[in-house]
Amino acid sequence: MSSKQHILNALKSAAMAPHAMPTIDVAPRIDDLVGQFEANLITVAGTLHREGGLVNLQTTVDEHIAQGMQVISMVEGISGNREVSATAHELRDIDYAVIPGDCGVAENGAIWVNTKNLGHRVTPFICENLLLVIEAKSIVANMHQATSLMTLAPGEFGTFIAGPSKTADIEQALVVGAHGACSLNVYLT
Amino acid sequence: MSTSKSNVHAHKAEIFCKDESRVDWHSKALWTLREKRDRAAGSIPEWEQLRQIGSEMKLHTLTHLTEYLEEFEQNCIKNNIKVHWAKDGAEHNRIVHEILAKHHVKKVVKSKSMLTEECHMNPYLEERGIEVIDTDLGERIIQLAEMPPSHIVVPAIHMKKEEVGDLFHEKLGTNAGASDPLYLTRAARQHLREKFLSADAAMTGVNMAIADQGAVVVCTNEGNADMGANLPKLQLHSMGIDKVVPNLESAAVILRTLARNATGQPITTYSSFYRGPQDGGEMHVIIVDNGRTDMLKDKILAEALKCIRCGGCLNTCPVYRRSGGHSYNYTIPGPIGIAVGAQHDDTNSIAWACTLCGSCSYVCPTKVPLDKIIHHHRRLKAEAGKLPYGKSNYMPLVGKFMASETALNCSMGIARMALKILPGSLLKPFSGAWGKYRELPVAPNSSFEAWFKKNRG
Ligand code: SF4
Repeated sequence: MSSKQHILNALKSAAMAPHAMPTIDVAPRIDDLVGQFEANLITVAGTLHREGGLVNLQTTVDEHIAQGMQVISMVEGISGNREVSATAHELRDIDYAVIPGDCGVAENGAIWVNTKNLGHRVTPFICENLLLVIEAKSIVANMHQATSLMTLAPGEFGTFIAGPSKTADIEQALVVGAHGACSLNVYLT
Repeated sequence: MSTSKSNVHAHKAEIFCKDESRVDWHSKALWTLREKRDRAAGSIPEWEQLRQIGSEMKLHTLTHLTEYLEEFEQNCIKNNIKVHWAKDGAEHNRIVHEILAKHHVKKVVKSKSMLTEECHMNPYLEERGIEVIDTDLGERIIQLAEMPPSHIVVPAIHMKKEEVGDLFHEKLGTNAGASDPLYLTRAARQHLREKFLSADAAMTGVNMAIADQGAVVVCTNEGNADMGANLPKLQLHSMGIDKVVPNLESAAVILRTLARNATGQPITTYSSFYRGPQDGGEMHVIIVDNGRTDMLKDKILAEALKCIRCGGCLNTCPVYRRSGGHSYNYTIPGPIGIAVGAQHDDTNSIAWACTLCGSCSYVCPTKVPLDKIIHHHRRLKAEAGKLPYGKSNYMPLVGKFMASETALNCSMGIARMALKILPGSLLKPFSGAWGKYRELPVAPNSSFEAWFKKNRG
């Protein structure tokens, strides 16, 4: 007998009575979505740039490039100085990655990023610093709304990103910048 | 019972308790997490509603596991994900090794997975010439220190920063005497980055497996799972059968409670959904039973499988906080560790590492009735004739004694008298372990029965 069959057979003697699926109907908090988003983004150590949109972002990117930084941009209208490389490993020296997010979540400051347009899946994690771009009108109240809007086609990879990578594994001291990006700036358009 | 005293929970806890200041420090660190959890839970008006939905959604899935596991498998196959089934830890390890051997893998980067710990996978692979690098910082620390995890979310919570500093100095060449968490974390980042970039394969645990998507969700704060899985072409994900959820809607409920209940964050930094391998890559999912279907055969134990491994019950547990994670004789410590581990505990002592205060059940985001399960384990142990350290000898006598009114009244009278007239130093030895850290009580003037008759009767 295959192990699968073995497990499925064993499940036949499970003791609990069948339980119905509950309805998931949680009232969203819809007041000041951008304000809620910003407040939560701060608690996860990210920064929001509400004004200036892409123009402001390009200025920042130009400054980084002028300082000799390696910047890759996956956002239309923003130009960096690096192209998508042949292998993911070649992205190891990227200082800044500019990436589009599909939607923001007000209750926790997370941003849904589908990596289908990133060339390599590892881009948002391997860069030293992350610059995310989202439309203000894409911000939804909570995860229930976010999962109903996010797209994830068969074969794809996507991630909710809430702030820069962090750890508190040494005596519970919060350190920003573990294995992923060391900072996160979010630009609203 | 062939149990040596040195393995029972009380004895191991005693070793941990030798250093009183460390116990206080440990307890406080965990209580801080509990306080953060309370603030995060309190900031969501619908918290109790989410706990109720979480509990019912897990109950629903657990009582329809066959359908959901099959649906999950079919959808995975459609997404070009290879699915394997393992009855137990040994089979899991064998499958993992076969996949790695086929690809000539020499180095695997692993993100935290309690399941691979449960299966003792690392030593199995290492014996076969494959280097396994734990990449969660806490896990890496204890891997370098050659210790098991002492907590399911913060595995190195028992170590002080000076100890980590010494360890890193020895293993990673950091400056002697350095103990600054920022400096040490940066050193680990450099060290592990090199490992990520040179690994041949990546392994992760699974927080949720979404049946109707054929996708797995992995949550980390450090981004180690994603740095791992998205660099090499080969990715493996190990999951217990209890990790499956029906759909994205139900995954959203867990994503709302998991991090809030674990560390008080509104969500983990990365909540990643893998719905297929990267271009030119291979993705494998290994679905593991390892005793879970046995637990499902017992109505009460089955509810332990609602657990989403947030660690909240550990942080609040007065016994865990004062006895340390290594005292439980099981990979998973604390209340949930007792719930899922007591049946494997041949010292038959961990079911008693609990005051039945119920704090764990109260904080659990999926309402696992931990105190009820632990109490049930005690009953099962008693029924199997496996009460620990002599309880089986004296408990029946205690029962008879308590049942006899004359014997009880008479001896309680003697005890009250003794407490009044004899010095404490003479009586203390009779109180056994109980009296070790406690003062003897002040004797009341009469029995409760007499008091009741006089005042209320
Ligand atoms: S039993 Fe509940 S509180 Fe404990 S780890 Fe599991 S989900 Fe968290």
